[in-house]
Amino acid sequence: MVIRKDWRYRTKQFIAYTLLIFVLTTTLFPLYIMFATSVKPEGNILPTWDSLIPKKVTLRNYVDVWKSANFDRYFLNSVIVTFSVTFLNIILDSMVAYALSRKGFKGSNLVLLVIIATMMIPAQVLMIPLFILIKKIGFYNTYWALILPFSVQGFGIFLMKQYFDGLPKSLDEAAMIDGAGDFKILFKVLFPISKPAIAVLGINTFLTTWNSFVYPLIFTNTDNMRTLPIGIAYFNTIHGIDYVHLMAGSSIATIPVIAVFLAFQKQIISGLTRGAVKE
Amino acid sequence: MVSRKKKIRNTVNIFILLSPWIASFLTFKLYPILFSFYLSFTRYNPIRGRPPRFVGLRNYHHLFSDPTFAIALKNTVLFVVITVPITTAISLLIASVLVSSLNIRGKQIFQSGYFMPVVTSMVVIATIFSYLYSPNGYLTALIKFFGADLKYGRGILADPRYALPAIMAMDIWASFGYYTILFLAGLQSIDRQIYEAAAIDGAKGFYLFRKITLPLVSPMLLFVLVINTIRSFQIFIEVYVMTQGGPLRATTTVVYYLYETGFHKMKMGYAAAMSYVLFLIILSFTIVQKLLVRYQR
Repeated sequence: MVIRKDWRYRTKQFIAYTLLIFVLTTTLFPLYIMFATSVKPEGNILPTWDSLIPKKVTLRNYVDVWKSANFDRYFLNSVIVTFSVTFLNIILDSMVAYALSRKGFKGSNLVLLVIIATMMIPAQVLMIPLFILIKKIGFYNTYWALILPFSVQGFGIFLMKQYFDGLPKSLDEAAMIDGAGDFKILFKVLFPISKPAIAVLGINTFLTTWNSFVYPLIFTNTDNMRTLPIGIAYFNTIHGIDYVHLMAGSSIATIPVIAVFLAFQKQIISGLTRGAVKE
Repeated sequence: MVSRKKKIRNTVNIFILLSPWIASFLTFKLYPILFSFYLSFTRYNPIRGRPPRFVGLRNYHHLFSDPTFAIALKNTVLFVVITVPITTAISLLIASVLVSSLNIRGKQIFQSGYFMPVVTSMVVIATIFSYLYSPNGYLTALIKFFGADLKYGRGILADPRYALPAIMAMDIWASFGYYTILFLAGLQSIDRQIYEAAAIDGAKGFYLFRKITLPLVSPMLLFVLVINTIRSFQIFIEVYVMTQGGPLRATTTVVYYLYETGFHKMKMGYAAAMSYVLFLIILSFTIVQKLLVRYQR
């Protein structure tokens, strides 16, 4: 296609850049404000041009929330829960996916259909009965409540099944002749060559679990079981106007996900668009 | 020939491989759904220690004459019908500009920037905006500059007229990046040659967009509309963190009211009925949207 670089093209390009940059600035401004406020000495939070750039930078607020507002514990809880859920999903989703992709048993289509159907159940229908169930089986206010209900998920099963479907069956057959069983084939033959899919699954599970709010909110009731999002929400209701500390706490919860996002953008975007592009 | 022993071994293996899903499905999906359906016909307060008492359709009946539920439903529908089209339009516009023939440089930077709020926890976002909307916040200063008559010393969220629109604006800010990425994926899969052929025929600008881009991107458009509608009907975290449904119920949404009814007032049966009604509303909206998009084609 021949593009005439005349003034009309230039004008359009200018408008396009103006729009994109305006939206980008708007998008990043609140996040900037979070980091900028979190390093300010207390009391300097009025909305003036002057206070847009912190004059004195201090890490005092971080130390405060980490030590005296229990954020060290929230962080630890978030790490324990997120890593357990992510690890379990990688192992368990793959097991189910392997059965669906390789074992060709009667009713495998039905299982697939049920998995799709359960993925569409809105979370709010499950809120009340899951809470009652968790109380009944004694998981209330324990790590079990925050980990077990989320350890096998339809998204991961689908993702791994799709990937396994694309791997040649001759690999398993060769291993089978060597006497390998299903578990050996899954974990020793297929796993090492499925790193891209495992990465997409792991990173996306990490993000959703790290940011998860509703279930940790209703499944816990003591301060030492709270994860970061719940901790921030409580801090907000108690010290609602203590913004420098609130922003420091928010930054503690945000820095890990931004780091993971910048490092693994490709996998995150591929995970999010996968289901959609297939439609 | 497959021996009998091998066959049994194979069946056992299939069962072991599937067992995590079977256990999780029965315990955390099927049982809760059925139990919740039963609960919706009962009166149940777990604190009293008595088992659920069957009341027939009373919860559902009560729901239709509950003024707070009516307000919550109105707020939620307003939220959906305002934010979903705006978010969709913004993300489609930005994605179209990014893939257009204008040769935008630094696509990766724009894309990453727009996506940043999507990976950020909604609690964190709501906390940041609580600050921006507070009496000392930048956004409060901004809308005052544009002539909003906020009472002295009050923030945006304390004003019943501005609180819900403020949450809507934040939600659009927080979510458009996700849909932009989806549209980008949809637009990039369109064959460039179609555009070139159309350009040779003299088609351009908005005509090109309406006649070629829109029909080709419409499966993605449908997907975006459906998931965004489902998500928006369930808005909860923002309300929980920023306003607790106030001021004067101005921001009470259905899921927030459900949470309040179930976990503060401990009326679990009533809350379960509410969740089923919301589920039916979401389902019917989704079906209507599907039909509309199909009809357009």
